[in-house]
Amino acid sequence: MKVRKAVITAAARGQHALPLQTLVDRDGVQKSALKIILEEALSTGVETVCLVVTPGDQKSYATAAGDLAGRLHFVEQPSPLGYGHALYCARAYVGADPFLHLVSDHLYVSRGKVRCARQLVQMAEAQSCSVSAVQPTRENVLTYYGTVGGRRVPGQNHLYEVENVVEKPTPTEAEQSLIVPGLRAGHYLCFFGMHVLTPGVMELLGELVTSAREGKPVQLSPALAQLAGKERYLALEVQGLRYNIGVRYGLLSAQLALALDGDDREEILSQMVELLATRERSGNSIHEGHKGGHE
Amino acid sequence: MPGELIRIITSEDPAVRDLSLDVFARRASLDQLLAECEQLDRFRRQSDNLYQRVRALFFLYAIHRFHLPTKPGVAAKGHVPFDGYNNLLTRRFEEAVETFLDVQKKDGPSDAICSALAAAYHDLAFQTLANQVRRSVRGVRGNQWMFRIGHPADQPLQIRPELLQRSAFDGSFPILAEKTPVRMDLTHSAWSDIFFLGMDFPEGARVLNVSIDLAVLGRDATPKPPVEAYLRVIDEPVLRLVSVDLAARADITSLPEVFDFARDYLGLLKAAVIASGIVPPGVEGSGQSLAALLGRVVGPGLGLEIVSSVNNIPKGSRLAVSTNLLGSLISACMRATGQAKSLTGPLREEERRLIAARAILGEWIGGSGGGWQDSGGVWPGMKLIAGSPAREGDPEFGVSRGRLLPTHKILGPEDASDAVRKHLQESLVLVHGGMAQNVGPILEMVTEKYLLRSEAEWDARKQAIGILESILGALKADDVKGIGAATTRNFFGPIQTIIPWASTYYTETLIARVKEKFAGDFWGFWMLGGMSGGGMGFIFEPTRKAEAQKFLAETMSAVKRDLQNALPFAMEPVVYDFAINPHGTFAGLLEDDKALLPPAYYAFMAPQWLRTDPRQLSPLRRAELDRLGAACREDTGLRGMVETLFDRLIPRARGEGSRGQNLRGMLDELGFDREQHEQIRTDLKGGRTGLAQNRLPANTVIEDVKPEDVVDLSDLQEFGQREPGQLKEWTLLGTQALKAGEVGVISLAAGAGSRWTQGAGVVKALHPFCKLGGRHRTFIEVHLAKSRKVGKAHGAPLPHVFATSYLTHEPIETFLAARDFYGYEGLLRLSQGKTVGLRMVPTERDLRFAWEELPQRMLDEQQQKVRESLHAALIGWARQAGEAGDYTDNLPSQCLHPVGHWFEVPNLLRNGVLAELLRERPALKHLMLHNIDTVGADVDPAMLGLHIARGSCLTFEVINRRIDDRGGGLARVNGKVRLVEGLAMPHEEQEFGLSYYNTMTTWIDIDKLLTAFGLDRESLSDAQKVSSAIRTAGAKMPTYITLKDVKKRWGHGQEDVFPVAQFEKLWGDMTALPEIDCGYVVVPRPRGQQLKDQAQLDGWLRDGSAAYVEGLCEWE
Repeated sequence: MKVRKAVITAAARGQHALPLQTLVDRDGVQKSALKIILEEALSTGVETVCLVVTPGDQKSYATAAGDLAGRLHFVEQPSPLGYGHALYCARAYVGADPFLHLVSDHLYVSRGKVRCARQLVQMAEAQSCSVSAVQPTRENVLTYYGTVGGRRVPGQNHLYEVENVVEKPTPTEAEQSLIVPGLRAGHYLCFFGMHVLTPGVMELLGELVTSAREGKPVQLSPALAQLAGKERYLALEVQGLRYNIGVRYGLLSAQLALALDGDDREEILSQMVELLATRERSGNSIHEGHKGGHE
Repeated sequence: MPGELIRIITSEDPAVRDLSLDVFARRASLDQLLAECEQLDRFRRQSDNLYQRVRALFFLYAIHRFHLPTKPGVAAKGHVPFDGYNNLLTRRFEEAVETFLDVQKKDGPSDAICSALAAAYHDLAFQTLANQVRRSVRGVRGNQWMFRIGHPADQPLQIRPELLQRSAFDGSFPILAEKTPVRMDLTHSAWSDIFFLGMDFPEGARVLNVSIDLAVLGRDATPKPPVEAYLRVIDEPVLRLVSVDLAARADITSLPEVFDFARDYLGLLKAAVIASGIVPPGVEGSGQSLAALLGRVVGPGLGLEIVSSVNNIPKGSRLAVSTNLLGSLISACMRATGQAKSLTGPLREEERRLIAARAILGEWIGGSGGGWQDSGGVWPGMKLIAGSPAREGDPEFGVSRGRLLPTHKILGPEDASDAVRKHLQESLVLVHGGMAQNVGPILEMVTEKYLLRSEAEWDARKQAIGILESILGALKADDVKGIGAATTRNFFGPIQTIIPWASTYYTETLIARVKEKFAGDFWGFWMLGGMSGGGMGFIFEPTRKAEAQKFLAETMSAVKRDLQNALPFAMEPVVYDFAINPHGTFAGLLEDDKALLPPAYYAFMAPQWLRTDPRQLSPLRRAELDRLGAACREDTGLRGMVETLFDRLIPRARGEGSRGQNLRGMLDELGFDREQHEQIRTDLKGGRTGLAQNRLPANTVIEDVKPEDVVDLSDLQEFGQREPGQLKEWTLLGTQALKAGEVGVISLAAGAGSRWTQGAGVVKALHPFCKLGGRHRTFIEVHLAKSRKVGKAHGAPLPHVFATSYLTHEPIETFLAARDFYGYEGLLRLSQGKTVGLRMVPTERDLRFAWEELPQRMLDEQQQKVRESLHAALIGWARQAGEAGDYTDNLPSQCLHPVGHWFEVPNLLRNGVLAELLRERPALKHLMLHNIDTVGADVDPAMLGLHIARGSCLTFEVINRRIDDRGGGLARVNGKVRLVEGLAMPHEEQEFGLSYYNTMTTWIDIDKLLTAFGLDRESLSDAQKVSSAIRTAGAKMPTYITLKDVKKRWGHGQEDVFPVAQFEKLWGDMTALPEIDCGYVVVPRPRGQQLKDQAQLDGWLRDGSAAYVEGLCEWE
């Protein structure tokens, strides 16, 4: 199996401007979040990337992609029918090929030399099946993620056979059906926003889209849960960290993580020390006006 | 080489494993038994297997309680070390066992130390079991995470968006309404639903459990689910809990308050909020804010209102109302937070299972407990609930044979057709007999007997399993008559073989009357739940059901009236209509103009809203009143609401003051001494009397008596061999006195048996406490039967007097008259009490002294927390009600108190009964005075002869002390031999150095006693002289302040218990008077044993004491 295509979904209403924000990457160069994500995808060896966007967003995304714009295919999601539906919009592009799928509001920092997406694609190509990147996650934030249950593949430290997928489970449900032996108590394998999927997923999504009730959003997790029953489906605990730029202070954390992992590490560290040394805490006024958050 | 008992415990072969301990222990010698005990004790410390550990503990308990004391070579006399006793009280059972074993090793086995070891092993066994249930329920998947949450930021639950969707109509939030049936246990199966049985013998733990809707006959139109829970979002950051049926509400704003269970009547709602994870158990004591937690779950600035309603089904219905209410509340909370897939409609099987597990968790958190089938109402229709073996991966695997949670198989039409369901409903009359008793002790007995595998009981259990099969068969065959036959067989067979106390005189009277009236059309009786007397079923030929309902309603009322002073009734009996509920727990969403809570909620809550200035009402509240107003006009279910609200807003004065009037009348009539009362109040307030002041001065020297201070007749056989001439002489003397008509009996029957019925205020003397000679017998009947036998044997009927009080006089008189005085041949008189006291609100000082200074039995961790919170609430009550103020907020009879048994003998002088006795039986010289609960005391010629031979004024009977014998004893006090009350002991531990315990049974030489009072036979007719003599004597007697628990009943079988202060003077203090010559005799335990607590009865029956008493009686 060789992965040559990638699909990035960027059609979430209200969040579609996130990838257009500018950060300084590990190499010290200013670029858009989108470009950083595209570089992550292209580092795996995929040749083209399909971007699923809301109608009218194509131009700004093309601009944000800069010199990579030439390798992009754009597909529009005409109305907001859910994450699963957005992915399904790329079915024509995908055709009969396996593909890498990333979300557009996450940035990744690998723990080693190999980038996160590349770790995933290598594993998928070696195993010739769908693989989702996962990360052990504490139960108190389960409600934000798709979560998988399964068991470790014998002899492989970070690879799991997926048996069950539940979107945003309660801890009660997680404890009953998603416990993975070997993880710390209260930790579950949650999606990392990164998958290599076989085209079979598109068929399953197609069935969900057809049977969905009017206006009810279609999610990816139910399709993946079905996938686990149909074909071999693995989860890889990727050696790296993800940063959700859609949450409060998400962009800041992502920026710091990138900077501390890159060429400007010393400079950022000294700036932070200086900031800590000089900045007096002025009550709670800093925090106010930043309500909201994950929701 | 492991011992025989370890072999029984560890055997894989059921034929060996099910062997009974009794068979082995009866045959074994003392040395053999002690050797087995040593091995068992070592074994139970090493074994990892729960069942083996617990069974070893129960074997150790039973050997020490029932077998060792009967073996020759065990000393009759011994001491229980105070340290060990203290360890027991503080639940440090392992240390207690160590301490007692050390003493046993040092001094050899004794009756006293055996009793202590039995108590320690017994409690350790139950603690081990409770710990296991707790561990298992925490370990249930789906529950574990809640114990890891320690901060609001950890809280992963969020309210479902549907519940945040405000109405376009008036901005109100929708209401989630959960309706849940209760469960009825069709087979009982001999309490096979106790947790331990399911965990150890899953094959035998099976019940047939039916979810039912209820209606009270003559009150409600049609049966409906009796249990309701409601949940909605509110626009205040508080947790508002409302129990409509208990009329309690609270706006909770802090986490500690959520975990404070006894503060109000909202414990069950709190337990549900915790067990459902909304306020996870892990946040207890975290110091975090409830508002922040609610902010996470519901949203900033918002809160939750949770309402429970039980549609007036009283407590003790044996239909598991409280567990199903807990289940209903947990279900609503789980649905609301997405822990159940569907917000409305029925639940899925795995969700119901989780609710069952969480209900167990909630009951544990709230400090109560139930059986594993109790949440059956959450499931639909009829189901077979069965234990299931633990398999690999279960938290129980390797620990117990079965899982904590059973499996539920819902019966389909092939198992129970629609026809048989219909026929069952047409035949069964469901009632609540009115008794509400604590079944906790019964469940403990069942566990114990199961583990001991005594032959008869083990056979009974096997029979009960067979009866379940025949009921299942009868259901399949549409044979309701067959079901009736099977449940009746169960009640009179296995159930009573295992637990004789499951039946009551009341129940059997009802069954007899129904049988008499309906003959062949009465198809069977069926006991619901833990014991009879509350919820019960009677099965009839369908055409006669309506008639039977009417008959039962009337009969229950009539029998209750006859027995209301003899048995603890909590309420008027009721007859139900019922229907099998096919859904189980079921929820709906009430929106827009339908978003209304049950009418009783508004009757309770709306008056305070209406009193508020409309401008201060929140918009939501105004909208709600608006909806209510509209609904009152249209909805027939709300008919009468306006009048109700009006009544509540302006309460009518009717009935006020009548209670006070009545109480004053009674005080005047019963010889209340106002002057003395005020003196005691002043002393109490000033700290001159009180619990601490009951004690003798701290420098008093209290020592055990010397052998020459008593005559030891504790083992008559042994004494007879040692001193044959002596015993013969006393027997002869006694026999002569009996023949000459020189003896009479006084039974003290003034008490309300507050320990016996936990403050229910029944007449203990009239309690049909045990089946003896084939029938339930009251204490009075037993005492008369003994007197009859002695009288007949000596050709002279014994005069028998029952000393009564204001509480007991009239009931005893009526009761005896209705039974023709049990046909007693001798002179029978009641000696009416002539003194009464008025109870007082206790002082905080005394409450604290009782709860903080005196050694208290500590409870299980969670129960202890509940108790501490209750104590805080009661101290608050005492302060608010006014310390040392008159206690008048209860039924008049519960406000008065008897003033101690010292007054009983003076009463005999004052009310003329003694004078009358002497007039009619001039030969009378001696009286045997005893407590109503010393059932083994009879006019034994040898004891009487000893008393006569020694020539003492008073001869007191004492027994060798066991660990349960608390409250003073025989001592040398500063060198003088006398009885000391427990209240008067300067130091708790001193009591443990005393060998003998006072039985209260006293032989009285009438003339010497009169002399001591400054009277003689002639002057008894001089009322003035008698009164003055009594006053003089009374002044020499110390006055003790005591705290008593008094029940206050309200609502539908609800009860509160209040500690109240009262005073008393005690008979034993007569021994301190220098002018009275007293003798002391040690008597055998079966003769001196008092029955203070119903939990004692089973052991009393099993250790042969009951048979001993039966042998003393002649019934006709």
